Amino acid sequence: MDFRFDIVIQYLPVLLKGTLLTIGISIVSILIGSILGLGIGFGKMAPKWYFRWPFHSYINFFRGTPLYVQILIVHFGLIPPFYGKTNALMTAFVALSLNSAAYSAEIFRAGIQSIDRGQKEAAISLGMSSTQAMRFIILPQAIKRMVPAFGNEFIVLVKDSSLLALVAAPEIMYWSNTMKGQYARIWEPYLTAALIYFILTYSLSKLLNYVERRM
Amino acid sequence: MKAEKKWIMSAFMSLMMVAIVGCGSNNNAGSENAAVEKIKFATDASYAPMEFMDTDKIKGFDIDFIKVVMEEAGIDYDVTNTGWDTMLTSVKQGTEYQAGLSSVSITDERKETYDYSIPYFESTNMILVKEDSDIQNALDLKDKIVAIQGATTADDLMSGIMGVDNGNLRRFDSNAVALMELDAGGADAVVADIAIVREYVKNNPDKKFKTITDMENFGSEYYGILYPKGSEWKAKLDPAIKAVLENGKYAEIYKTWFGEEPNLENVLNAK
Repeated sequence: MDFRFDIVIQYLPVLLKGTLLTIGISIVSILIGSILGLGIGFGKMAPKWYFRWPFHSYINFFRGTPLYVQILIVHFGLIPPFYGKTNALMTAFVALSLNSAAYSAEIFRAGIQSIDRGQKEAAISLGMSSTQAMRFIILPQAIKRMVPAFGNEFIVLVKDSSLLALVAAPEIMYWSNTMKGQYARIWEPYLTAALIYFILTYSLSKLLNYVERRM
Repeated sequence: MKAEKKWIMSAFMSLMMVAIVGCGSNNNAGSENAAVEKIKFATDASYAPMEFMDTDKIKGFDIDFIKVVMEEAGIDYDVTNTGWDTMLTSVKQGTEYQAGLSSVSITDERKETYDYSIPYFESTNMILVKEDSDIQNALDLKDKIVAIQGATTADDLMSGIMGVDNGNLRRFDSNAVALMELDAGGADAVVADIAIVREYVKNNPDKKFKTITDMENFGSEYYGILYPKGSEWKAKLDPAIKAVLENGKYAEIYKTWFGEEPNLENVLNAK
């Protein structure tokens, strides 16, 4: 197989710019996503069904439809009414944050519910309020259990951000598509993109292993 | 027990190896035989009116054109909708599909990797803007936001005018999304093949759009059939394409799709 390194080198500067954008989009989206997710997760654990229901539907919608479709809906349906026109960067942050919020919510819920009920009962019998029990007893233990799941969600998010090339957000996949277009070649752009994503997710998983060990 | 497992594993692995190698050589032999009696075209049928899916059938100008060419050549053929990327890779390999038929413009950069038939279609890129736009020609697009389908000649042209890494040049997955972007206000203009733009305007008469042709900056481009380097099919099909262009069958098809006479002289004299 002939592999033309010269066109990879030609595109390296923009690919690196795209990589920075991918990292930026992923970090912001996982942060917003987990803040929203915390609220949605608690909402889903509400005791009354009519409080639970909207959060339940939110999670079901975002986990049950392809991100591909969500990106198009956000880009052409959600952003224009607020912003007046489409904007690929806003689409990137909004679509990925909303999507990641649904998964984060389930991570929070699973983490919290994995802590034995007895812990809460013990905390309350010591004279803590329900909120105090959650904050000082349950959450610290739950968060430790959530770290691997969050790491996984982050890695998935980094790779999923490649779908944003669909609406021309200039991330890694966008530039490798451009490379493909100019030379009508497949291996150079796609293998290069795959290598960049691999380096990103591999270093991320190393970092997460370290964090897990330190906790 | 353990040793036995190992033995089974290695037997299984060598079987797999044989199967993989065997498949490889079988494929090659198969395609050589197939190449004698039948040519398989790959296409990206998402480019109305040139080639598109009408539910589960591929239709379009290119499809009607290749039909008369293959009748002329007396060779059996079929056309499969593979999508653009698969078409490019598999035609380059030349084993499963021996040619690509998908409004592929002949460009020098692509010639580094592929062979082309003689030109069979003259096209140009066209600018689509909203009716109240002050854009007059391609150079006015320099500091505007322009939506295009990536990997097309519109991409090459606008990359040349605006710079390949210009953030205002937005490359979309398909012309359909690029046109939606213009409609939703995310772009000031779309640049695409003339046939695509005309089809879109025809299908959206209530939207206030205006089209601009700029032969000075965009010029003519020509579509060719895509072959792998050194393909024997070029020599077999080029005479048939030439005959169809000259005997009036081409003009007939052209009229049914575009409602006007083709400029045959340009196509025949194009390099």
